[in-house]
Amino acid sequence: MTVEIIPADRFTLQELTDLYNQTRVDYLVPMPMSADRLGEYVHDFDVDLHQSCVARTADGEVLGLSMLGIRGKIAWITRLGVLPISRRTGAGSALMDSMLKNADTLGAKEIHLEVIKNNEPAYKLFLSKGFVETGNYLVMRHAPRPLTAPLHDEIIWLDFDGAMEKLKSYPVHLTWINAIASMQNSPNTEGLHIKLPNGASGWLVYRNTKFTLRSTLSHLIIHTEQGNPDEVGRQLLSQLHTQYPHHDTYAENIHEDDPHLSAFQALGYFTNFSRIEMRRK
Amino acid sequence: MAKILYIEDIQDNITFVEKVVKSRGHEFLFAKNAEAGLELAFASQPDLILLDLGLPDADGQTLSVWLRGNPTLATTPIIVLTAWTEEVARQTVNAYNLNGYLCKPFSLKQLVDIIDSVLGKQPT
Repeated sequence: MTVEIIPADRFTLQELTDLYNQTRVDYLVPMPMSADRLGEYVHDFDVDLHQSCVARTADGEVLGLSMLGIRGKIAWITRLGVLPISRRTGAGSALMDSMLKNADTLGAKEIHLEVIKNNEPAYKLFLSKGFVETGNYLVMRHAPRPLTAPLHDEIIWLDFDGAMEKLKSYPVHLTWINAIASMQNSPNTEGLHIKLPNGASGWLVYRNTKFTLRSTLSHLIIHTEQGNPDEVGRQLLSQLHTQYPHHDTYAENIHEDDPHLSAFQALGYFTNFSRIEMRRK
Repeated sequence: MAKILYIEDIQDNITFVEKVVKSRGHEFLFAKNAEAGLELAFASQPDLILLDLGLPDADGQTLSVWLRGNPTLATTPIIVLTAWTEEVARQTVNAYNLNGYLCKPFSLKQLVDIIDSVLGKQPT
């Protein structure tokens, strides 16, 4: 089969959404999107639809798609998917080759992506294209529940600017969706800083999406400046969920060795699935 | 006869569940996204909601929070029908205070049994 690759910006967001949803209909992790949601995704994660691609046959029948984010010298491949009926036709490999070529043309020195753990076909494809594992991450969820954390004298709620200021000092690698640029792109980024009586301190930055059906807390990033990360993490999360008792929450891409993992679990977070970050230089 | 609302985006799943629900003599309603599902739930006040967790415009978990947050729907039974793993489905049902789950693919008998069980009838 001859696979043609064409820029994704020749399609409407609704057409791309429909195609994406069809590629994921039998996926390990069900993650359909609406056109609004995909538009937000493109904006927040700096996806370049002109450099993103749709695969189709010579007859014009669409087979799959892939998207490319670009930030300076780093590119990010995302939303790669092939229709179930069109798998094992070389469409996935052709899409990857186009992504790599476009990233190279744009001057990217490093390319990142994430693959869901146990998605063996995709994982093997990425390995074959020269990607190597760089980290394992958890996607966790927290249901709203009544919680009353004791009031603390030294809690400072951070607005967008305050949250971004804290995030700029974060010393650990963040995956693309939680990176400073992603948080900068969302007006819903905010945070809190806490100082405990024993001198321990830290901050939590997150997105607070309000007043829509998707009223959620998401993209949580915790940093302990001083003291025990478990204690600081528990206090920060307790304050957050006391402040927002009705918000559904998901924490994406928490590193499996994150020192605050025990705090998440203590607050009732549970793992939905795991992702592997991979990079190619 | 009960009124059953199914919130699910995949037509094949809707068609299958519709046949099962109607064959048991129940009224069947459906919505293909969270927003339409929420509106229909408010308007129709179903006796049971069957909920897919992977919806295009909002996650089923988040939708369940909105449903539970409305006094007229707070106690309406919600059964999750999901492609997530058994472990994730079980944890979700417990955490979000839902009433049961079936992991896809499920059989006709499994669906009938869980509907009857939640509606208070003896399984066949």
